[in-house]
Amino acid sequence: MKKIVDVSIPLGPVHPIFKEPCRIKCETFGEQVLAAEVELGYMKKGIERIMVGRPWQEVMFLAERVCGICSVIHNFVFIETMEKISGVGVPDRAAYLRVLANELDRMQSHLIANFSYCYTIEHETIGMYLLNIRETVMDMLEYLTGARVTCAYIVPGGVRFDPDAEDLSRIMKAMDEVERETRRYMDMFEYGPLIGLRSKGIGIMTREQSEFIHAVGPTARACGITVDCRSNHPTYQMLKFTPIVRTEGDNYARVMIRFQEVLQSADLIKTIIQTLPEGKIRGGGTIGRGETTHQGEAPRGELTYRIKSDTHGRIQEISIQTPSIMNIEACARYMIPGVTSIADVTSAYISSDPCIACTER
Amino acid sequence: MSLLQSLKNAVRQRSIHVCYVDTGSCNGCDIEVLACLSPRYDLEQYGIYVHNNPREADVLLVIGGVTPQWEDKLKMVWDKIPEPKAAISIGNCPISGCVFSRPLTLTNAPAKSYIPIAAEVPGCPPRPTEIIQAILSVAPLIFKDWEDRK
Repeated sequence: MKKIVDVSIPLGPVHPIFKEPCRIKCETFGEQVLAAEVELGYMKKGIERIMVGRPWQEVMFLAERVCGICSVIHNFVFIETMEKISGVGVPDRAAYLRVLANELDRMQSHLIANFSYCYTIEHETIGMYLLNIRETVMDMLEYLTGARVTCAYIVPGGVRFDPDAEDLSRIMKAMDEVERETRRYMDMFEYGPLIGLRSKGIGIMTREQSEFIHAVGPTARACGITVDCRSNHPTYQMLKFTPIVRTEGDNYARVMIRFQEVLQSADLIKTIIQTLPEGKIRGGGTIGRGETTHQGEAPRGELTYRIKSDTHGRIQEISIQTPSIMNIEACARYMIPGVTSIADVTSAYISSDPCIACTER
Repeated sequence: MSLLQSLKNAVRQRSIHVCYVDTGSCNGCDIEVLACLSPRYDLEQYGIYVHNNPREADVLLVIGGVTPQWEDKLKMVWDKIPEPKAAISIGNCPISGCVFSRPLTLTNAPAKSYIPIAAEVPGCPPRPTEIIQAILSVAPLIFKDWEDRK
Protein backbone atom coordinates (compact mmCIF):
# COMPACT_ATOMS: atom_id res chain seq x y z
CA MET A 1 0.00 0.00 0.00
CA LYS A 2 1.98 3.01 -1.24
CA LYS A 3 0.17 6.20 -0.43
CA ILE A 4 1.04 9.63 0.81
CA VAL A 5 0.08 9.24 4.43
CA ASP A 6 0.20 11.93 7.09
CA VAL A 7 -0.13 9.70 10.07
CA SER A 8 -1.26 6.19 10.85
CA ILE A 9 -3.72 6.24 13.73
CA PRO A 10 -4.46 3.10 15.74
CA LEU A 11 -7.75 2.92 17.65
CA GLY A 12 -8.01 0.32 20.38
CA PRO A 13 -7.79 -2.35 21.72
CA VAL A 14 -9.00 -0.57 24.86
CA HIS A 15 -11.05 2.36 23.61
CA PRO A 16 -13.85 4.30 25.32
CA ILE A 17 -16.49 3.23 22.83
CA PHE A 18 -15.45 -0.34 22.08
CA LYS A 19 -17.35 -2.95 24.04
CA GLU A 20 -14.85 -5.55 22.96
CA PRO A 21 -11.16 -5.34 22.16
CA CYS A 22 -10.09 -4.90 18.56
CA ARG A 23 -7.72 -2.53 16.83
CA ILE A 24 -8.54 -0.36 13.83
CA LYS A 25 -5.51 1.06 12.07
CA CYS A 26 -6.38 4.11 9.98
CA GLU A 27 -4.09 5.64 7.38
CA THR A 28 -5.03 9.29 7.28
CA PHE A 29 -4.33 12.30 5.10
CA GLY A 30 -5.27 15.25 7.25
CA GLU A 31 -8.57 14.23 8.78
CA GLN A 32 -9.54 12.09 5.81
CA VAL A 33 -9.17 8.35 6.18
CA LEU A 34 -7.60 6.72 3.13
CA ALA A 35 -7.50 3.11 4.23
CA ALA A 36 -8.29 1.07 7.29
CA GLU A 37 -7.37 -2.31 8.64
CA VAL A 38 -9.07 -4.19 11.45
CA GLU A 39 -6.77 -6.29 13.58
CA LEU A 40 -8.46 -9.14 15.41
CA GLY A 41 -7.21 -11.89 17.68
CA TYR A 42 -7.69 -10.52 21.19
CA MET A 43 -10.59 -12.82 22.03
CA LYS A 44 -9.68 -16.20 20.51
CA LYS A 45 -10.76 -18.80 23.05
CA GLY A 46 -10.66 -21.91 20.84
CA ILE A 47 -14.28 -22.87 21.53
CA GLU A 48 -14.53 -25.21 18.50
CA ARG A 49 -11.46 -27.11 19.74
CA ILE A 50 -13.13 -27.57 23.12
CA MET A 51 -16.38 -28.78 21.49
CA VAL A 52 -14.83 -31.66 19.53
CA GLY A 53 -15.25 -35.06 21.17
CA ARG A 54 -17.87 -33.94 23.67
CA PRO A 55 -21.51 -35.12 23.90
CA TRP A 56 -24.22 -32.75 22.61
CA GLN A 57 -25.51 -32.16 26.14
CA GLU A 58 -22.25 -30.37 26.90
CA VAL A 59 -21.76 -28.72 23.51
CA MET A 60 -25.24 -27.20 23.77
CA PHE A 61 -24.05 -24.98 26.63
CA LEU A 62 -20.76 -24.25 24.89
CA ALA A 63 -22.62 -23.19 21.73
CA GLU A 64 -24.57 -20.66 23.77
CA ARG A 65 -21.36 -19.14 25.00
CA VAL A 66 -20.04 -18.50 21.50
CA CYS A 67 -21.79 -15.15 21.78
CA GLY A 68 -23.44 -13.79 24.89
CA ILE A 69 -25.46 -11.08 23.13
CA CYS A 70 -27.21 -13.42 20.69
CA SER A 71 -27.07 -16.59 22.80
CA VAL A 72 -30.60 -17.79 21.92
CA ILE A 73 -29.92 -18.01 18.17
CA HIS A 74 -26.71 -20.02 18.74
CA ASN A 75 -28.69 -22.41 20.92
CA PHE A 76 -31.51 -22.45 18.30
CA VAL A 77 -29.30 -23.20 15.28
CA PHE A 78 -27.16 -25.80 17.11
CA ILE A 79 -30.22 -27.72 18.31
CA GLU A 80 -31.90 -27.49 14.88
CA THR A 81 -28.74 -28.90 13.28
CA MET A 82 -28.73 -31.82 15.71
CA GLU A 83 -32.44 -32.40 15.04
CA LYS A 84 -31.82 -32.31 11.29
CA ILE A 85 -29.07 -34.94 11.68
CA SER A 86 -31.25 -37.27 13.72
CA GLY A 87 -34.72 -36.60 12.26
CA VAL A 88 -36.27 -35.41 15.52
CA GLY A 89 -39.57 -33.58 15.12
CA VAL A 90 -40.83 -30.60 17.11
CA PRO A 91 -44.41 -30.05 18.35
CA ASP A 92 -46.13 -26.95 16.91
CA ARG A 93 -46.37 -25.17 20.24
CA ALA A 94 -42.65 -25.64 20.88
CA ALA A 95 -41.78 -24.37 17.39
CA TYR A 96 -43.73 -21.18 18.08
CA LEU A 97 -42.21 -20.73 21.53
CA ARG A 98 -38.72 -21.08 20.05
CA VAL A 99 -39.44 -18.23 17.65
CA LEU A 100 -40.88 -16.20 20.54
CA ALA A 101 -37.64 -16.55 22.56
CA ASN A 102 -35.54 -15.89 19.47
CA GLU A 103 -37.39 -12.68 18.61
CA LEU A 104 -37.10 -11.39 22.19
CA ASP A 105 -33.38 -12.01 21.96
CA ARG A 106 -33.18 -10.21 18.60
CA MET A 107 -34.98 -7.20 20.05
CA GLN A 108 -32.56 -6.82 22.94
CA SER A 109 -29.57 -7.32 20.65
CA HIS A 110 -30.77 -4.63 18.21
CA LEU A 111 -31.59 -2.25 21.04
CA ILE A 112 -28.11 -2.59 22.55
CA ALA A 113 -26.56 -2.11 19.09
CA ASN A 114 -28.53 1.11 18.61
CA PHE A 115 -27.59 2.20 22.13
CA SER A 116 -23.92 1.73 21.23
CA TYR A 117 -24.37 3.81 18.09
CA CYS A 118 -26.15 6.64 19.91
CA TYR A 119 -23.47 6.54 22.61
CA THR A 120 -20.78 6.75 19.92
CA ILE A 121 -22.27 9.84 18.27
CA GLU A 122 -22.53 11.36 21.76
CA HIS A 123 -26.32 11.33 21.88
CA GLU A 124 -26.57 9.67 25.27
CA THR A 125 -30.20 10.64 25.85
CA ILE A 126 -31.63 8.32 23.20
CA GLY A 127 -29.03 5.71 24.19
CA MET A 128 -30.27 5.66 27.79
CA TYR A 129 -33.92 5.56 26.67
CA LEU A 130 -33.09 2.55 24.51
CA LEU A 131 -31.28 0.78 27.36
CA ASN A 132 -34.35 1.31 29.49
CA ILE A 133 -36.71 -0.39 27.03
CA ARG A 134 -34.13 -3.10 26.57
CA GLU A 135 -34.52 -3.87 30.28
CA THR A 136 -38.25 -4.46 29.70
CA VAL A 137 -37.38 -6.93 26.93
CA MET A 138 -34.77 -8.62 29.15
CA ASP A 139 -37.39 -8.97 31.89
CA MET A 140 -39.70 -10.77 29.47
CA LEU A 141 -36.85 -13.02 28.32
CA GLU A 142 -36.11 -13.86 31.95
CA TYR A 143 -39.81 -14.39 32.60
CA LEU A 144 -40.11 -16.84 29.70
CA THR A 145 -36.81 -18.71 29.96
CA GLY A 146 -35.60 -18.24 33.53
CA ALA A 147 -32.36 -16.38 32.79
CA ARG A 148 -31.34 -13.03 31.39
CA VAL A 149 -28.49 -13.96 29.07
CA THR A 150 -27.50 -17.61 28.74
CA CYS A 151 -30.86 -19.30 29.14
CA ALA A 152 -30.56 -22.73 27.33
CA TYR A 153 -34.30 -22.59 26.62
CA ILE A 154 -34.26 -24.72 23.48
CA VAL A 155 -33.58 -28.48 23.77
CA PRO A 156 -33.83 -31.21 21.09
CA GLY A 157 -37.50 -31.97 20.42
CA GLY A 158 -38.91 -28.87 22.08
CA VAL A 159 -38.39 -26.19 24.70
CA ARG A 160 -37.90 -26.27 28.45
CA PHE A 161 -40.77 -24.29 29.94
CA ASP A 162 -44.39 -23.77 28.96
CA PRO A 163 -45.83 -20.29 29.61
CA ASP A 164 -49.48 -20.17 30.74
CA ALA A 165 -52.13 -17.66 29.63
CA GLU A 166 -51.18 -15.16 32.33
CA ASP A 167 -47.50 -15.22 31.32
CA LEU A 168 -48.43 -14.70 27.69
CA SER A 169 -50.69 -11.75 28.46
CA ARG A 170 -47.86 -10.17 30.45
CA ILE A 171 -45.50 -10.55 27.48
CA MET A 172 -48.23 -9.11 25.22
CA LYS A 173 -48.58 -6.05 27.46
CA ALA A 174 -44.82 -5.54 27.56
CA MET A 175 -44.67 -5.74 23.76
CA ASP A 176 -47.31 -3.00 23.46
CA GLU A 177 -45.21 -0.79 25.70
CA VAL A 178 -41.96 -1.57 23.87
CA GLU A 179 -43.59 -0.86 20.52
CA ARG A 180 -44.97 2.48 21.67
CA GLU A 181 -41.66 3.59 23.19
CA THR A 182 -39.58 2.37 20.23
CA ARG A 183 -41.76 4.35 17.83
CA ARG A 184 -41.21 7.45 19.94
CA TYR A 185 -37.42 7.09 20.00
CA MET A 186 -37.36 6.13 16.34
CA ASP A 187 -39.09 9.43 15.55
CA MET A 188 -36.49 11.26 17.65
CA PHE A 189 -33.74 9.52 15.74
CA GLU A 190 -35.37 10.08 12.36
CA TYR A 191 -35.93 13.81 12.70
CA GLY A 192 -33.05 14.82 15.01
CA PRO A 193 -31.00 17.35 12.98
CA LEU A 194 -27.72 16.63 14.80
CA ILE A 195 -28.20 12.90 14.45
CA GLY A 196 -28.78 13.40 10.73
CA LEU A 197 -25.52 15.35 10.44
CA ARG A 198 -23.55 12.57 12.12
CA SER A 199 -25.32 9.69 10.34
CA LYS A 200 -26.70 10.53 6.90
CA GLY A 201 -24.30 10.01 4.02
CA ILE A 202 -21.51 8.70 6.26
CA GLY A 203 -19.98 5.26 5.89
CA ILE A 204 -21.71 4.56 2.59
CA MET A 205 -21.51 1.07 1.10
CA THR A 206 -23.17 0.45 -2.27
CA ARG A 207 -25.13 -2.62 -3.24
CA GLU A 208 -22.38 -3.88 -5.57
CA GLN A 209 -19.71 -3.51 -2.90
CA SER A 210 -21.92 -5.24 -0.40
CA GLU A 211 -22.49 -8.17 -2.77
CA PHE A 212 -18.77 -8.40 -3.52
CA ILE A 213 -17.73 -8.55 0.14
CA HIS A 214 -20.65 -10.85 1.13
CA ALA A 215 -22.12 -8.56 3.76
CA VAL A 216 -24.98 -10.16 5.70
CA GLY A 217 -27.80 -9.22 8.03
CA PRO A 218 -28.95 -5.64 8.63
CA THR A 219 -25.70 -4.33 7.10
CA ALA A 220 -26.60 -5.96 3.77
CA ARG A 221 -30.32 -5.20 4.02
CA ALA A 222 -29.48 -1.50 4.51
CA CYS A 223 -27.80 -1.58 1.06
CA GLY A 224 -30.86 -2.98 -0.71
CA ILE A 225 -30.07 -6.71 -0.70
CA THR A 226 -33.02 -8.90 0.25
CA VAL A 227 -31.26 -11.57 2.26
CA ASP A 228 -32.72 -13.08 5.41
CA CYS A 229 -32.47 -16.71 6.48
CA ARG A 230 -35.72 -16.37 8.39
CA SER A 231 -37.57 -16.47 5.03
CA ASN A 232 -36.48 -20.12 4.63
CA HIS A 233 -37.52 -21.20 8.11
CA PRO A 234 -40.86 -23.13 8.21
CA THR A 235 -42.16 -21.44 11.40
CA TYR A 236 -41.40 -17.96 10.07
CA GLN A 237 -43.07 -18.89 6.79
CA MET A 238 -46.21 -19.79 8.74
CA LEU A 239 -46.03 -16.37 10.38
CA LYS A 240 -45.79 -14.75 6.89
CA PHE A 241 -42.43 -13.12 7.53
CA THR A 242 -41.02 -10.69 4.95
CA PRO A 243 -37.59 -9.06 5.34
CA ILE A 244 -37.24 -5.28 5.69
CA VAL A 245 -34.96 -3.62 3.13
CA ARG A 246 -33.64 -0.08 2.87
CA THR A 247 -31.55 1.36 0.05
CA GLU A 248 -29.42 4.22 1.42
CA GLY A 249 -26.50 2.09 2.68
CA ASP A 250 -25.19 4.66 5.20
CA ASN A 251 -24.95 4.71 9.00
CA TYR A 252 -28.46 6.13 9.26
CA ALA A 253 -29.98 3.27 7.23
CA ARG A 254 -28.20 0.62 9.27
CA VAL A 255 -29.51 2.02 12.54
CA MET A 256 -33.02 2.66 11.20
CA ILE A 257 -33.31 -0.87 9.83
CA ARG A 258 -32.58 -2.19 13.32
CA PHE A 259 -35.31 0.03 14.75
CA GLN A 260 -37.72 -1.30 12.11
CA GLU A 261 -36.75 -4.87 12.90
CA VAL A 262 -37.45 -4.30 16.59
CA LEU A 263 -40.98 -3.24 15.63
CA GLN A 264 -41.28 -6.21 13.28
CA SER A 265 -40.17 -8.58 16.05
CA ALA A 266 -42.76 -7.08 18.39
CA ASP A 267 -45.40 -7.71 15.71
CA LEU A 268 -44.20 -11.30 15.24
CA ILE A 269 -44.36 -11.92 19.00
CA LYS A 270 -47.91 -10.58 19.14
CA THR A 271 -48.94 -12.81 16.23
CA ILE A 272 -47.34 -15.81 17.95
CA ILE A 273 -49.17 -15.16 21.22
CA GLN A 274 -52.50 -14.75 19.40
CA THR A 275 -52.11 -17.92 17.32
CA LEU A 276 -50.17 -20.14 19.77
CA PRO A 277 -51.45 -23.72 19.30
CA GLU A 278 -52.25 -25.91 22.30
CA GLY A 279 -50.37 -29.15 22.91
CA LYS A 280 -47.14 -30.59 24.19
CA ILE A 281 -43.91 -28.59 24.34
CA ARG A 282 -41.60 -31.58 24.10
CA GLY A 283 -41.66 -34.52 21.73
CA GLY A 284 -39.36 -37.51 21.92
CA GLY A 285 -36.29 -38.51 19.99
CA THR A 286 -32.67 -39.58 20.15
CA ILE A 287 -29.70 -37.72 18.77
CA GLY A 288 -27.78 -39.93 16.37
CA ARG A 289 -25.14 -40.06 13.74
CA GLY A 290 -24.77 -37.85 10.68
CA GLU A 291 -23.31 -34.78 9.09
CA THR A 292 -25.12 -31.67 7.95
CA THR A 293 -25.07 -27.91 7.53
CA HIS A 294 -27.78 -25.61 8.79
CA GLN A 295 -28.36 -21.87 8.65
CA GLY A 296 -30.22 -19.42 10.82
CA GLU A 297 -30.57 -15.67 10.97
CA ALA A 298 -28.73 -14.17 13.94
CA PRO A 299 -29.37 -10.51 14.82
CA ARG A 300 -26.20 -9.67 12.89
CA GLY A 301 -26.81 -11.91 9.87
CA GLU A 302 -26.47 -15.41 8.61
CA LEU A 303 -25.16 -18.01 11.06
CA THR A 304 -24.04 -21.43 9.80
CA TYR A 305 -23.25 -24.59 11.73
CA ARG A 306 -21.66 -27.65 10.14
CA ILE A 307 -21.66 -30.63 12.45
CA LYS A 308 -20.57 -34.26 12.19
CA SER A 309 -21.69 -36.47 15.05
CA ASP A 310 -21.28 -40.15 15.96
CA THR A 311 -23.93 -42.71 17.02
CA HIS A 312 -23.97 -41.57 20.66
CA GLY A 313 -24.48 -37.92 19.75
CA ARG A 314 -20.88 -36.92 20.36
CA ILE A 315 -19.54 -34.11 18.20
CA GLN A 316 -16.76 -35.30 15.93
CA GLU A 317 -16.33 -32.22 13.78
CA ILE A 318 -17.85 -28.79 14.08
CA SER A 319 -17.34 -25.52 12.29
CA ILE A 320 -19.25 -22.34 12.94
CA GLN A 321 -19.50 -19.40 10.57
CA THR A 322 -20.65 -16.25 12.30
CA PRO A 323 -21.97 -13.13 10.56
CA SER A 324 -19.68 -10.46 11.99
CA ILE A 325 -16.54 -11.51 10.14
CA MET A 326 -18.03 -10.46 6.79
CA ASN A 327 -19.44 -7.23 8.21
CA ILE A 328 -16.15 -6.26 9.86
CA GLU A 329 -14.36 -6.81 6.56
CA ALA A 330 -17.00 -4.74 4.73
CA CYS A 331 -16.48 -2.06 7.33
CA ALA A 332 -12.70 -1.92 6.93
CA ARG A 333 -12.84 -2.08 3.16
CA TYR A 334 -15.73 0.18 2.18
CA MET A 335 -17.37 2.02 5.07
CA ILE A 336 -14.38 3.53 6.87
CA PRO A 337 -12.21 4.64 3.88
CA GLY A 338 -13.64 7.89 2.58
CA VAL A 339 -15.04 9.23 5.85
CA THR A 340 -13.95 12.81 6.31
CA SER A 341 -13.16 12.71 10.01
CA ILE A 342 -11.56 10.34 12.52
CA ALA A 343 -14.63 10.77 14.73
CA ASP A 344 -16.71 9.07 12.03
CA VAL A 345 -14.47 5.97 11.94
CA THR A 346 -15.82 4.69 15.24
CA SER A 347 -19.42 5.52 14.38
CA ALA A 348 -19.18 3.75 11.00
CA TYR A 349 -17.60 0.76 12.71
CA ILE A 350 -20.22 0.56 15.46
CA SER A 351 -23.09 1.04 12.99
CA SER A 352 -22.25 -2.32 11.39
CA ASP A 353 -22.81 -3.88 14.86
CA PRO A 354 -19.60 -5.92 15.12
CA CYS A 355 -19.44 -8.75 17.62
CA ILE A 356 -15.83 -9.72 18.23
CA ALA A 357 -16.62 -12.53 20.68
CA CYS A 358 -18.49 -14.59 18.07
CA THR A 359 -16.12 -13.62 15.25
CA GLU A 360 -13.12 -15.10 16.98
CA ARG A 361 -14.83 -17.66 19.21
CA MET B 1 -6.65 11.72 60.51
CA SER B 2 -5.92 15.00 58.85
CA LEU B 3 -8.60 17.27 57.48
CA LEU B 4 -7.28 16.72 53.97
CA GLN B 5 -7.54 12.97 54.36
CA SER B 6 -11.13 13.08 55.60
CA LEU B 7 -12.01 15.36 52.69
CA LYS B 8 -10.41 12.91 50.27
CA ASN B 9 -12.28 10.01 51.86
CA ALA B 10 -15.60 11.80 51.47
CA VAL B 11 -14.94 12.68 47.83
CA ARG B 12 -13.61 9.25 46.84
CA GLN B 13 -16.65 7.51 48.25
CA ARG B 14 -18.94 9.20 45.77
CA SER B 15 -16.68 9.43 42.75
CA ILE B 16 -15.61 6.07 41.40
CA HIS B 17 -14.47 5.94 37.79
CA VAL B 18 -14.68 2.55 36.15
CA CYS B 19 -12.81 1.04 33.22
CA TYR B 20 -13.59 -2.41 31.91
CA VAL B 21 -11.43 -4.72 29.83
CA ASP B 22 -12.71 -7.76 28.03
CA THR B 23 -9.95 -10.35 28.09
CA GLY B 24 -11.78 -13.04 26.13
CA SER B 25 -15.30 -13.48 27.46
CA CYS B 26 -18.44 -14.51 25.56
CA ASN B 27 -19.88 -10.95 25.75
CA GLY B 28 -22.51 -12.02 28.27
CA CYS B 29 -20.81 -10.23 31.18
CA ASP B 30 -20.07 -7.19 28.97
CA ILE B 31 -23.71 -6.55 28.28
CA GLU B 32 -24.55 -6.99 31.96
CA VAL B 33 -22.00 -4.28 32.76
CA LEU B 34 -23.60 -2.11 30.06
CA ALA B 35 -27.03 -2.84 31.54
CA CYS B 36 -25.80 -1.22 34.79
CA LEU B 37 -25.72 2.08 32.88
CA SER B 38 -29.44 1.91 32.15
CA PRO B 39 -31.80 4.23 34.04
CA ARG B 40 -33.25 1.27 35.94
CA TYR B 41 -29.99 0.43 37.74
CA ASP B 42 -28.58 3.95 37.37
CA LEU B 43 -24.90 3.63 38.26
CA GLU B 44 -24.42 7.38 38.41
CA GLN B 45 -26.65 7.86 41.45
CA TYR B 46 -23.91 6.09 43.44
CA GLY B 47 -21.25 8.27 41.87
CA ILE B 48 -19.91 5.55 39.59
CA TYR B 49 -18.94 6.64 36.09
CA VAL B 50 -18.02 4.26 33.29
CA HIS B 51 -15.34 5.95 31.18
CA ASN B 52 -13.46 2.97 29.84
CA ASN B 53 -10.23 4.92 29.92
CA PRO B 54 -7.51 3.39 32.14
CA ARG B 55 -5.73 6.72 32.65
CA GLU B 56 -8.63 8.23 34.60
CA ALA B 57 -10.03 5.09 36.22
CA ASP B 58 -10.11 4.01 39.87
CA VAL B 59 -11.65 0.58 39.42
CA LEU B 60 -10.80 -1.94 36.71
CA LEU B 61 -13.43 -4.54 35.85
CA VAL B 62 -11.80 -7.63 34.37
CA ILE B 63 -14.11 -9.76 32.23
CA GLY B 64 -13.21 -13.09 30.67
CA GLY B 65 -10.64 -15.87 31.03
CA VAL B 66 -7.34 -14.39 29.90
CA THR B 67 -6.39 -15.11 26.26
CA PRO B 68 -2.73 -15.20 25.09
CA GLN B 69 -2.95 -11.68 23.60
CA TRP B 70 -3.96 -10.27 26.98
CA GLU B 71 -1.35 -11.99 29.15
CA ASP B 72 1.02 -9.03 28.93
CA LYS B 73 -1.52 -6.35 28.00
CA LEU B 74 -3.65 -6.85 31.11
CA LYS B 75 -0.64 -5.91 33.25
CA MET B 76 -0.02 -2.91 30.98
CA VAL B 77 -3.59 -1.66 31.40
CA TRP B 78 -3.33 -2.19 35.17
CA ASP B 79 -0.07 -0.21 35.32
CA LYS B 80 -1.68 2.72 33.51
CA ILE B 81 -4.30 3.21 36.24
CA PRO B 82 -3.24 5.82 38.83
CA GLU B 83 -3.15 4.93 42.54
CA PRO B 84 -5.29 4.23 44.54
CA LYS B 85 -6.84 1.52 42.42
CA ALA B 86 -8.75 -1.74 42.68
CA ALA B 87 -9.51 -4.56 40.25
CA ILE B 88 -12.77 -6.51 40.34
CA SER B 89 -13.30 -9.61 38.23
CA ILE B 90 -16.76 -10.13 36.77
CA GLY B 91 -18.14 -13.59 36.04
CA ASN B 92 -16.84 -17.12 36.38
CA CYS B 93 -14.27 -16.86 33.58
CA PRO B 94 -11.62 -14.77 35.43
CA ILE B 95 -12.03 -17.02 38.49
CA SER B 96 -11.78 -20.48 36.99
CA GLY B 97 -12.23 -20.25 33.22
CA CYS B 98 -15.88 -21.40 33.40
CA VAL B 99 -16.85 -23.51 30.34
CA PHE B 100 -13.60 -22.59 28.62
CA SER B 101 -11.51 -24.37 31.25
CA ARG B 102 -11.17 -27.59 29.26
CA PRO B 103 -8.34 -29.37 27.44
CA LEU B 104 -7.20 -27.58 24.25
CA THR B 105 -8.53 -24.22 25.39
CA LEU B 106 -6.59 -21.04 24.61
CA THR B 107 -7.67 -19.14 27.71
CA ASN B 108 -5.41 -19.08 30.73
CA ALA B 109 -7.39 -18.29 33.86
CA PRO B 110 -7.33 -17.12 36.65
CA ALA B 111 -6.92 -13.39 36.17
CA LYS B 112 -5.43 -12.99 39.62
CA SER B 113 -2.21 -14.61 38.48
CA TYR B 114 -1.59 -11.50 36.33
CA ILE B 115 -2.86 -8.61 38.44
CA PRO B 116 -4.03 -8.32 42.07
CA ILE B 117 -7.81 -8.79 42.17
CA ALA B 118 -9.65 -7.21 45.09
CA ALA B 119 -13.02 -8.89 44.62
CA GLU B 120 -14.59 -11.58 42.48
CA VAL B 121 -18.22 -11.62 41.36
CA PRO B 122 -19.20 -15.17 40.38
CA GLY B 123 -22.04 -15.92 37.98
CA CYS B 124 -22.44 -16.74 34.32
CA PRO B 125 -23.22 -13.84 33.92
CA PRO B 126 -23.78 -12.11 37.30
CA ARG B 127 -26.78 -9.80 37.56
CA PRO B 128 -26.22 -6.04 37.18
CA THR B 129 -27.21 -5.48 40.83
CA GLU B 130 -24.46 -7.85 41.97
CA ILE B 131 -21.88 -5.97 39.91
CA ILE B 132 -22.95 -2.63 41.40
CA GLN B 133 -22.92 -4.11 44.90
CA ALA B 134 -19.39 -5.43 44.42
CA ILE B 135 -18.07 -2.06 43.23
CA LEU B 136 -19.80 -0.20 46.05
CA SER B 137 -18.63 -2.53 48.80
CA VAL B 138 -15.01 -2.88 47.68
CA ALA B 139 -13.95 0.50 46.31
CA PRO B 140 -14.55 2.69 49.42
CA LEU B 141 -12.77 0.10 51.62
CA ILE B 142 -9.64 0.24 49.51
CA PHE B 143 -9.63 4.00 48.98
CA LYS B 144 -10.26 4.86 52.63
CA ASP B 145 -7.28 6.57 54.34
CA TRP B 146 -5.07 5.73 51.37
CA GLU B 147 -2.46 8.43 52.04
CA ASP B 148 -2.34 7.72 55.79
CA ARG B 149 -1.81 4.02 55.31
CA LYS B 150 0.83 4.46 52.64
